[in-house]
Amino acid sequence: MDRGKKDQVTSKTTGVTRRELLGRAAAAATGVAVGSGAITGFPTIWAQEIKDITLRHVGVSYSVVQAIGDQAAKDLGFKVSMQNLDTSTAITRFITQPQSVDIPDLEGWQAKVAVPRGILQGIEVKRIKHFDEMLPIFTKGEYKGKKVSRQGISPYEAMYLPSRDAKQIVEGVHDFVSFLPQVYNADSIGYRPDLIGHPVTQWKELFSPAYKGKAAILDVPNIGIMDAALALESRGDLVYKNKGNMTRAEIDKTIDALIALKKQGQFRATWTTFEQSVELMAAGEVEIQSMWSPAVTAVLARGIPCIYAAVNQRPDGKEGYRGWCNGMGLMRHLKGKKLEAAYEYLNWYYEGWQGAFVARHGYYSPVPATAEKFMTPNEYGYWYLGKPAVDVIKDPYGAPIAKPGAVRDGGSFIERFSNISCWNTVMDENQYMIQRWNEFKSA
Amino acid sequence: MSASATLVAAVGRRRERSWSLSSLLLALPLAAVLVCFVVAPLISVVAVSVFRYDNFAVIPGFTLENYASVLSSRLTLSLYLTMIRLAAITWAVTLVLGFCVAYFLVFHVRSKLIAIGLFLACTVPFWTSNIIRMISWLPLLGRQGIINQALLTTGVIHQPLGFLLYSDFSVIVSYVHLFTIFMIVPIFNAMSRIDPALFEASRDAGASRWQTMRLVVLPLSKSGIVLGSVFVITLVMGDFYVVKVMSGGSLASVVSAMVDDISTLLFPHAAASAVILLVVLTLLVAGIMRLVDIRRELVAER
Amino acid sequence: MAIVSARGGRPWTFYVLAAIFVGYVAFLYGPMLCIYVLSFQGPQGGLTFPMRGAGLHWFNQLLSQGDTGDLIGAISRSLPLAVLVMAITVIVSFAAGMAFRARFPGSNWLFYLVVASLVAPGYVLGIGIGLMFQLLGWNTDWYTSALGAQLSWTLPFGLLIMFAVFGRYDRAYEEAARDLGAFPVQTLRLVVVPMLLPGVIAVALFGFTLSYDEFARTLQTVGSSNTVPIEIWSMTQNVTTPSIYALGTLTTALSFVVIGVSLGTIALIQRRRVGMKSL
Repeated sequence: MDRGKKDQVTSKTTGVTRRELLGRAAAAATGVAVGSGAITGFPTIWAQEIKDITLRHVGVSYSVVQAIGDQAAKDLGFKVSMQNLDTSTAITRFITQPQSVDIPDLEGWQAKVAVPRGILQGIEVKRIKHFDEMLPIFTKGEYKGKKVSRQGISPYEAMYLPSRDAKQIVEGVHDFVSFLPQVYNADSIGYRPDLIGHPVTQWKELFSPAYKGKAAILDVPNIGIMDAALALESRGDLVYKNKGNMTRAEIDKTIDALIALKKQGQFRATWTTFEQSVELMAAGEVEIQSMWSPAVTAVLARGIPCIYAAVNQRPDGKEGYRGWCNGMGLMRHLKGKKLEAAYEYLNWYYEGWQGAFVARHGYYSPVPATAEKFMTPNEYGYWYLGKPAVDVIKDPYGAPIAKPGAVRDGGSFIERFSNISCWNTVMDENQYMIQRWNEFKSA
Repeated sequence: MSASATLVAAVGRRRERSWSLSSLLLALPLAAVLVCFVVAPLISVVAVSVFRYDNFAVIPGFTLENYASVLSSRLTLSLYLTMIRLAAITWAVTLVLGFCVAYFLVFHVRSKLIAIGLFLACTVPFWTSNIIRMISWLPLLGRQGIINQALLTTGVIHQPLGFLLYSDFSVIVSYVHLFTIFMIVPIFNAMSRIDPALFEASRDAGASRWQTMRLVVLPLSKSGIVLGSVFVITLVMGDFYVVKVMSGGSLASVVSAMVDDISTLLFPHAAASAVILLVVLTLLVAGIMRLVDIRRELVAER
Repeated sequence: MAIVSARGGRPWTFYVLAAIFVGYVAFLYGPMLCIYVLSFQGPQGGLTFPMRGAGLHWFNQLLSQGDTGDLIGAISRSLPLAVLVMAITVIVSFAAGMAFRARFPGSNWLFYLVVASLVAPGYVLGIGIGLMFQLLGWNTDWYTSALGAQLSWTLPFGLLIMFAVFGRYDRAYEEAARDLGAFPVQTLRLVVVPMLLPGVIAVALFGFTLSYDEFARTLQTVGSSNTVPIEIWSMTQNVTTPSIYALGTLTTALSFVVIGVSLGTIALIQRRRVGMKSL
């Protein structure tokens, strides 16, 4: 908790360094919380002042989780209100009503479109204690010397700002960031091994005539089209320069292929809600579809076999996962005590409690080292390292979800994340793409 | 006009008095709410619809490009055709269903209290969120759903019916499920106003049951039918999530395309599309009202 | 009311229409029954059949602020909001309904505004309202912006139903009260309101139901805390538990209680009206 004097903000009212006090309070609280969950040791003045602060963290339900907010509030001594909205509603809210949000939960591409609108303020890297321990996938765009894919909008690409007030994202590492990654995963295809009969490792299987009427993709235009592109590339139809930023010609080819497939009856559906994807799979309506990791777990929980395909990149450059990453921003209107509290809140995310919590959902924290402290070796091995479970694995609420010996699909998180083919995105030809996507839907 | 309305009209004429001022005052709260929460936001929507934009910002200015882009796109036409088709089918089904249900409740249930009770029983499901009720069709209609299972076990079919879910069919089923009440209520209201003596008169005049229906009931429930139709058609045309979820993404609606635009911040394009939809629907409703003047039907004007 | 059958036996149309009515109710409650049954699953339960375990687990989850989402919090906003919308809808559309019995300056404009309010795409209108609040520097909240947004939806319904209510109402009673020397307030309190009460209750029910279910217009106007439909919609983006079904079951049970009470009230009022008429 020992930070340099330089970034400490002196409180005019009390004459005490505010950072120091808040920091210590948080440190004390977190430290104690590790042991017993009780909170003691707040400096009384600060406890009084910060307890009236409410931070409003707004975003999608798999990223902005009430239980995490409750724990943060308990540890930090101020109030945290977690509001869940769908992706589309959330970004619209941030842009049109910035005053109604304190901590916006953003994907990389959303940060990229939000920054030029001047609703965010740059987050000072120096004030994030564990920033240097964050995986370089995010902070440097590389892992173990290997560059991470830049197709689509990688978190690294959307991350750095030259100054606090910057309205432009810039290349390279700087002192300010637009958002701080907090939870991420690599998406691929889910399938029913009992109905498919062989391991699936290539996206092209999604379009295989063998599964005519038994396949599905998801109905979020800028994500769905990339799943389609991955499949087309895998099938050898075309090679994209950048699947996450297609040219009009590439969009046309992709959508035309989708329309042709739809007319041939390839797709049972394009799904919108989480439960739909689970239901399609569990009921056997589809045998293979683009899917999210917890949805696969939900199918398994019903006693129905379902595998999350390991689509590792191949030497020819084909395959790979579609990565996404949600992070926290700071709204521009935050200042004074509330801004201090917001920094405490951001820092809290990397102390480990949250990392352990999201891991049990099948997602990852960008600072696995601290998350490890809050997990049993069995859990850490299973969720992060891809090792076989040595004991029963339980979900965040204590329900058993994996038996001893079970191995997580796709291996360790590094195996997945060094195999990202493209990231969730918004394209330059976005409007044209959305129009064509809707043509596919109404075809 | 019913006998009581004629009487009321006569009383009204007897008292030549200006109701203007008090009427104005009474209408003021309504006007205030609508100006604040409909006119003002709509003005901003119209303003945004003529702004320029790129992927990163909306730039104030004046351009009709957004309208040109919406109006010249093949997609717009196909979206409207889809929605008109869905609205027409839903309208026809809800109309027949709503008319029959209202007729039954008004004319065939002997106790008025029981009629109201039955009517309320029809509204209870509406206090469970629309979204839950929509989702609740999934376990019924799926390939392994209850309906297919029942048909398979009874031997009616040998292959599960795929068209039950994620199709036009499931969308229309949901619409009918969610919106029939909007047809029932106004027709129920209109029918309750029909003077029972007219049935006696019609019968005494030798009219058949069908003639009574055509010459007495239908004309006198016209206002309810029109109102219900306006409700149902606007509800269907404005929908975006039923069509998205229940069609399994195989259909897009005018508003769902708008929502897709908005989710990647193409506000001006979406605004132009919204203004066009508003104009189309207002013209449609105005057209319907030209056919039947709802206000004159509902309010005995003097 | 049962004019056709006043002379004894039921006509054949009764049986046909009764069958249609029963069919409609079955259609309405069919999926609801799934909800009721599936809400009584064990902790492993999902949103579809087959049942996994049995018990009150999801009711507990719902009431003790369960795993995902904050339904109880959402209800604690949605209910008061619905009651507020109901009250304002009744009062405002009652007043406007009275106003529209005569022509007044701008009555045509106002009427078309009501129609526009009804047909405007709700999601976009909601964004417009949110934007307006932002520009004015006001906070969006369920009891301010969402209230207004929902009123823009319930008032057209309320007013149009009010037209029908007033259409049925015979103004001669009002004139008579005036002739007998009653003050306008007395006329309203002693004559108009009691006679129109059943119709007003219908508007109230409509206002409540439409508000409680409202989604499109509320989405961007709700502020920092969700109403029930938005909370549920957000929940569907992640693991959805049968606690939303438990909510459906509880709501229905509660509704029938409310209806019992309402019907009792109406019965009471009717008895009083019959008493008045026979005077």
